Amino acid sequence: MFTVAIIAVLASMSLAVARALLGPTAFDRLLAANSIGTLAIMLLALFGFLTERPEFLDLGITYALLNMTGTLAVLKFFRYGALGYDHADGDTEGKG
Amino acid sequence: MSVILDVLGWVLLCAGGFFCLIGAIGLNRMPDVFTRMHATSVSDTLGVGFLVVGMAVQTTDWTVWVRLAIIVIVLYITGAVASHALARAALHDGEKPLLANAEGALVKTGCEELYPELGVRIATPLTSEQVRQSVPSDEETAPSNS
Repeated sequence: MFTVAIIAVLASMSLAVARALLGPTAFDRLLAANSIGTLAIMLLALFGFLTERPEFLDLGITYALLNMTGTLAVLKFFRYGALGYDHADGDTEGKG
Repeated sequence: MSVILDVLGWVLLCAGGFFCLIGAIGLNRMPDVFTRMHATSVSDTLGVGFLVVGMAVQTTDWTVWVRLAIIVIVLYITGAVASHALARAALHDGEKPLLANAEGALVKTGCEELYPELGVRIATPLTSEQVRQSVPSDEETAPSNS
């Protein structure tokens, strides 16, 4: 049963990769990258259950935290044009 | 008992894979970035939820349940935050959602045409200084009303 779920998740990941390659705007690519990250966590967990090694779940937790940080960092870069925050003046108009 | 758990595992894992596929197909077939976000939220909530519950019924180790619970909580919270940030960054960048006009045709409509104040808010988001200034005035007016 884990094999069936793994095949479904892999098919979903390949479709998300297609959107990441085709995506007309950068936000489509980011959305696809976020989706690929979520599906990769599920793939890790399912693979751990398939091989009966639940330590893979710890890798999944790490991946979830990294995925969120990466997406937010890229989005902040898009919106403000920089990753840092300038405290001197509140003027952080985006360039992009 | 194990037969019931096996059937439950099959049903839940197949449902999870089905919803992951639905989200991925929607990601490819939806017309613009905001509707694509709607499609991915299906696989991020229902797909992940069914897969994790399907995995949880296949084990009796409570440490695995805890790890699965951590994964699902982190994914649910961060998924909502990332979607919100993505939509806001897309709007701020000038991306316009496809909306139906009076004739029913789909056109790219800017928010400033629909809600003038909201459009200004998106084009020039509040800085933290303005937010800090606006908070005390809300607290002053709230007790007088109640």
